[in-house]
Amino acid sequence: MNRTEATAVWGFGNPVGLGTLVKRELVRTLKVINQVIWPPIITTVLYVLIFGLSIGSRIPQIQGVSYAAYLVPGLIMLQVIDATYSEVSSSIFQGRFMNSIQEMLIAPMSAVEMVLGYVIAAVLRGLLIASLVLMVGALLVHTLPRNWPLYLLVTVLVATLFCSLGIIFGLLAEKFDHIAVLTTFVITPLVFVGGVFTTMRFMPPLIREVSLANPMFYMVDALRFAFTGTGDVPLAVSLGTVSALTVIALAVALRMTALGVKLRV
Amino acid sequence: MSANGSVPALKIEALSKRYGEFLAVDDISLRVEAGDFFGFLGPNGAGKTTTINAIVGLASITRGSIEVFGHDNVRDWRTSRTLIGLAPQEYNFDRYLSIRDILIYQAGYYGLRPREVRARADELLERFGLTSKAKETFVKLSGGMKRRLTLARALIHQPRLLILDEPTAGVDVELRIELWALLRELNAGGTTIILTTHYLEEAESLCRNIAIIGNGRIAAMGPTEELVTQHGPATLSVTVDRAVETLAPALAARGARRDGDPRTLYFDGLSPAQIAPTLAEIEAAGYAVENLEFRRANLQDVFLELVRR
Repeated sequence: MNRTEATAVWGFGNPVGLGTLVKRELVRTLKVINQVIWPPIITTVLYVLIFGLSIGSRIPQIQGVSYAAYLVPGLIMLQVIDATYSEVSSSIFQGRFMNSIQEMLIAPMSAVEMVLGYVIAAVLRGLLIASLVLMVGALLVHTLPRNWPLYLLVTVLVATLFCSLGIIFGLLAEKFDHIAVLTTFVITPLVFVGGVFTTMRFMPPLIREVSLANPMFYMVDALRFAFTGTGDVPLAVSLGTVSALTVIALAVALRMTALGVKLRV
Repeated sequence: MSANGSVPALKIEALSKRYGEFLAVDDISLRVEAGDFFGFLGPNGAGKTTTINAIVGLASITRGSIEVFGHDNVRDWRTSRTLIGLAPQEYNFDRYLSIRDILIYQAGYYGLRPREVRARADELLERFGLTSKAKETFVKLSGGMKRRLTLARALIHQPRLLILDEPTAGVDVELRIELWALLRELNAGGTTIILTTHYLEEAESLCRNIAIIGNGRIAAMGPTEELVTQHGPATLSVTVDRAVETLAPALAARGARRDGDPRTLYFDGLSPAQIAPTLAEIEAAGYAVENLEFRRANLQDVFLELVRR
């Protein structure tokens, strides 16, 4: 590639700039609050009522909890993933499309500061969404995490992972449509077959093997561990996989921002 | 280009920028002294915006170097960027923020806390006639207000070098004159200004020094006055009461020529001081002057001459 790193952008020297970006992203979220706050609550209530409490009442306990309670961690992941990926990717894509991202690009902000700004905002947004779903779960099926640090850790990791993917696809997308491709064809199907609704133990052996290649399975399994204290795979495996994926995606997002891919010409 | 020993506001050395096979900027070197009002002219696609993008960090540099007040814009990019304020040609405001917040957040990206810049933001809004719109988003602004906001935003962090890409494109005459006054005032206050423009009268009226760029290369550079006199001489045309049959020797010595109309004489390259003696010689040769026109060359002549080459 005939591209020099647009600027030596690995430094960390503008905390105010970083804070400004975090604030800007949160302001943006508040401006579109109807797309952010209500959908996860309503969707979760519907899932818990229909799958959990009506159909689920005919299903025996899984991992020592009722089916409705079993659902909650998966639903949290579903919403956190959706909220972080779609918000970040559309924020970056709009910034590129309307050139408003140049306000940051001409300022003394490094790639680290920019990526960290998006990540911090996404984590805060993710934690907010997670608590909303958690509240629904607590009210309707009386379930809460037993292991709060693990719950927080997994939520933060997953928010960071999907924020990084949001940055990557927000940079690569040539039209708004491209952003939806990942959601529609990859994220949603993988989450649905990734153990949100059922344990792998209920699945035929072949599908069980295939599921092990599904990254979403490890996220759901790790978070569920925080609720039930047990999982389909050992915690070290699920948490290790999620951490590794997060580190890789974050590194790619950082590298692309530092190179100025589709940002600096 | 008087190298007076002080650090120049901008020093570009052997800058080239390549996009694949296309060489957008081809080995440009230039120097803009601190405090200057510098015009960067050229036809569309000549490489003006590419050069600006390279200065502010929106484009990577293929070869060469750029220094802003002595700070290399790659090695010392934070300082270099802090010293520059950019008013881009296209509106690129954040549409999730109010007008006032656009200024405050832009300052934030430059590392300034809101409490440090609130007063300055309000002052700029007042100065640029935007106070009544402070709480609106930019889509509610008129074209002229958007232009003024571009300028206010570029100034929020008190840059020492202000770069304006086509600051008066699509702006009506009244606002253009208003913007010119603002720019002169800023320059008088010590801000170095570089502008690109399509309006040559704008460059001629505002800029002390000019570079003309064509096909990615600098075609001419120097003080505006010098460029104009050097490349486009002035012409005096005198219409007399009857056809001029033979030129008197004194008139021939002054370079008189005829062109079409037998009653009109043309003198090229005259300075204003030579007009009166020339007219006296015409009358001494027995002609009565009926009409005369003195046309100084302007930047447009220079521009066309250089760009057509």
